[in-house]
Amino acid sequence: MTSRREFLKIAGSAGAGLVLGLRLQGKTRPGTPVEPMFHPNAYLAIRPDGSALLTVPKSEMGQGVRTALPMVIAEELDLDWSRVELRQAMPGPEFQDLGTGGSTSVSTTWMILRKAGAAAREMLVAAAAQSWGVPPDQCHTGKGTVFGPGGRKAGYAELAEAAARQPVPKAPRLKEPADFRLLGRPTRRLDSPKIVAGKPLFGLDVRRPGQRFVAVLRCPVVGGTPKAWDASKALAVRGVRAVVQVPTGLAVVAEGTWPALQGREALAATVTWDEGPNAAFNSRDLENQMRSALQGPADPARKAGAAAPALAASARVLEAEYAFPFQAHTPMEPMNATAEVRSDGATLWMGTQNPNAAQVRAAAAAGVEPGRMAVNVTLLGGGFGRRSGTDFSTEAVQVAKAAGPGPIQVVWDRSDDIRHDQFHPATLHHLKAGLDGRGRIAAWSHHIAGGAVLRSWLEGQKSPGQAETEANGAWDIPYDIPALDIAFAEVQVPVPLGWWRAIEIVPNVFARECFLDEVAHATGKDPLALRLELLGGRGRVKLGGEEVDIARLRRVLELAAEKAGWGRKLPPGHGLGLACHAYDRRTYMAEVAEVSVAKGQLRVHKVVAAVDCGIVLNPEGLAGQVEGGVAWGVSALFSQITFEKGRTVQENFDTFPVLRSPEMPQVEVHTIASLEAPSGMGEPPVPVCLPAVLNAVYAATGKRLRRLPILPADLA
Amino acid sequence: MPAFQLTVNGRQRSVDADPGTPLLWILRDNLGLTGTKFGCGVGLCGSCTVHQNGKAVRACQVPLQEAAGTAVVTIEGLAPRGLHPVQRAWIEEDVAQCGYCQPGMIMSATALLADHPHPTDAQIDTVIGGHICRCGSYPRIRKAIHRAAKGGVR
Repeated sequence: MTSRREFLKIAGSAGAGLVLGLRLQGKTRPGTPVEPMFHPNAYLAIRPDGSALLTVPKSEMGQGVRTALPMVIAEELDLDWSRVELRQAMPGPEFQDLGTGGSTSVSTTWMILRKAGAAAREMLVAAAAQSWGVPPDQCHTGKGTVFGPGGRKAGYAELAEAAARQPVPKAPRLKEPADFRLLGRPTRRLDSPKIVAGKPLFGLDVRRPGQRFVAVLRCPVVGGTPKAWDASKALAVRGVRAVVQVPTGLAVVAEGTWPALQGREALAATVTWDEGPNAAFNSRDLENQMRSALQGPADPARKAGAAAPALAASARVLEAEYAFPFQAHTPMEPMNATAEVRSDGATLWMGTQNPNAAQVRAAAAAGVEPGRMAVNVTLLGGGFGRRSGTDFSTEAVQVAKAAGPGPIQVVWDRSDDIRHDQFHPATLHHLKAGLDGRGRIAAWSHHIAGGAVLRSWLEGQKSPGQAETEANGAWDIPYDIPALDIAFAEVQVPVPLGWWRAIEIVPNVFARECFLDEVAHATGKDPLALRLELLGGRGRVKLGGEEVDIARLRRVLELAAEKAGWGRKLPPGHGLGLACHAYDRRTYMAEVAEVSVAKGQLRVHKVVAAVDCGIVLNPEGLAGQVEGGVAWGVSALFSQITFEKGRTVQENFDTFPVLRSPEMPQVEVHTIASLEAPSGMGEPPVPVCLPAVLNAVYAATGKRLRRLPILPADLA
Repeated sequence: MPAFQLTVNGRQRSVDADPGTPLLWILRDNLGLTGTKFGCGVGLCGSCTVHQNGKAVRACQVPLQEAAGTAVVTIEGLAPRGLHPVQRAWIEEDVAQCGYCQPGMIMSATALLADHPHPTDAQIDTVIGGHICRCGSYPRIRKAIHRAAKGGVR
């Protein structure tokens, strides 16, 4: 706790402008009521009416942080859950780590929020105990009230002033999980009532006084720029106010979204592009480059034993090539940002997974200090990693600067959103398994070629950890194999790459778990039996610099298999397939998929998932993430992004199909009860889903699919 | 340019805009009703679903001149006070994740229930199959529609 925060425990003076959230920026928003509150830390305040205002330090993209994180505070603070209101944190000195992604929101805030709630509770109890003249340990709390001996009680609001005078405990006592009353119970999403009522919650819904709307004409080829154009056609469109040039292209500024889009269409017809260095980029050439790269040297991600001689000495070597395509995110809310640049500072309103970085980059673009760059984080109409990008916010600030005073909202239509995505890169995989005379795997090699997301993220820099990052899911293969050779051969690609739900773990686990099934079938072993044999009876093992508990992985694999009825007889054309993984060495998952193939059509009927993610905060939220992760994974089996002449072939949902309701499998979730620290659920359900389905396809048809997306001809 | 008249959520509105402007943008930008969402602009995702003269339509495909003289209901106008039973079912089944596609889903669901008070899964799939959710809320949508149907919804 900073001394400033300790000093400002009661916010109440209008002169100091100490309304929660606003004082962090050093400004008071005019017209906002200032009320005295018990405000011992940045995360919580008790208002005079007894309601609690909780600040959420992660972005909500549907993964449920705006319910789960407040639950943590409410649990330790013993709040009345029906009297909780939310405030979204803004980047600044008190919130320097708002970045949301990697399935880390709960794991990274768990102890911080517990301590914040617990410290506040102890201050309230101390205040009550003092006023009653009783020892604090004779008091207890519940539903926003302190209870003392002899039937005494006091509500938190009543105690606020006295509580604020208490010292802030440095090491507050945290509850035992057995005493949790809120955490672990299925809890409905707090934002649901506003969502179903159609309230303006998303970036695209922002409406500032005098707001203009902008559509940016960008070269469809990445790196291309406009050489010549005639703005008069755009300006002739009713409602268009201006056409201004920005680094990303030509911004058509209008009084509404439709005029901006119409103006842009008129402008597009007049533009001559300098398509730049990437005009010839295409998927076919890239695949050839990836295949060549696989024959050459690669950066090692993990080496164990001596794989090359072990393979050479093997009685039998199996090998296969697997291919995973470029993917797009296509969250339902296309990219957008609303920006205003003034002489005294600038403001952004948008959905972002990366408020702090967005703030710094936008400030530079606006020509202001970061402390004067206010970033208002709305709800995100889908993130999936795309909204970790700061491209769309920096662009909006550049447009705001060029378009003259007043707020502007840059709207991306679906074509913009797909064409100018930060793509998940295509990868090619070469796997080899060397079997000894008894059919056991003596050596395993997995080489991956493709674009490096990390390099794109680091704006062209190659990190020493690049190979390990790009091989995540491959190098941390959990099976007991004496010789391993996992490596990444980078192929530079000219398009922006970004984090796509579960990132490289998806293709790497797809290739690994499918190829392992190939080994199983080639050696006459049941895929479940082989995995259990390879996991063995081990407990905690060292993987890289981390530890993985193989027993926990074994348990979810056995549970999923049991619940799915692994081994039962199925009608012809039906099959079961499974896969398991210790996601990023922290969340343990297994899925069993039941599919049928008829007349060349694949139907995924059901996915049974077993998960061990440590302590479960909200079982309702967990189930939603498994359902969502399965939907994401199954969807990815059927879509791809390809490039021709430097641009995406796909532009909308006609050519980039995504999963629809009739195709959604039934999802059954089984959770291992655990007291381990929570380890994340946003992404873990995705990687094991794809190989479970493809292994089921093999079981159903005898067809081994090694390339995605699945095409009709594959199952004919 | 003459203004176009249309009824939106029971109120007469007058809109002065290009006749080809999709109703979606009239609602969002001219009338300040941002509950109706933009997802694809080409009628493929259902995010922009509203009721026009009682039928579910894609607002991105209805130009202003075709909306003129009709009665439009948006998500904001679904329940004059409180919540529509379908909205309540959506909350009870914890349907929404990011929530962006849900207004459109709810508008289609209410239209479906008006025609088929006890829809089968197949009927639900036919209607909801025209929508897209990237968060995977489909199983809960189906449950919520059945729940609303059980509660007797019109």
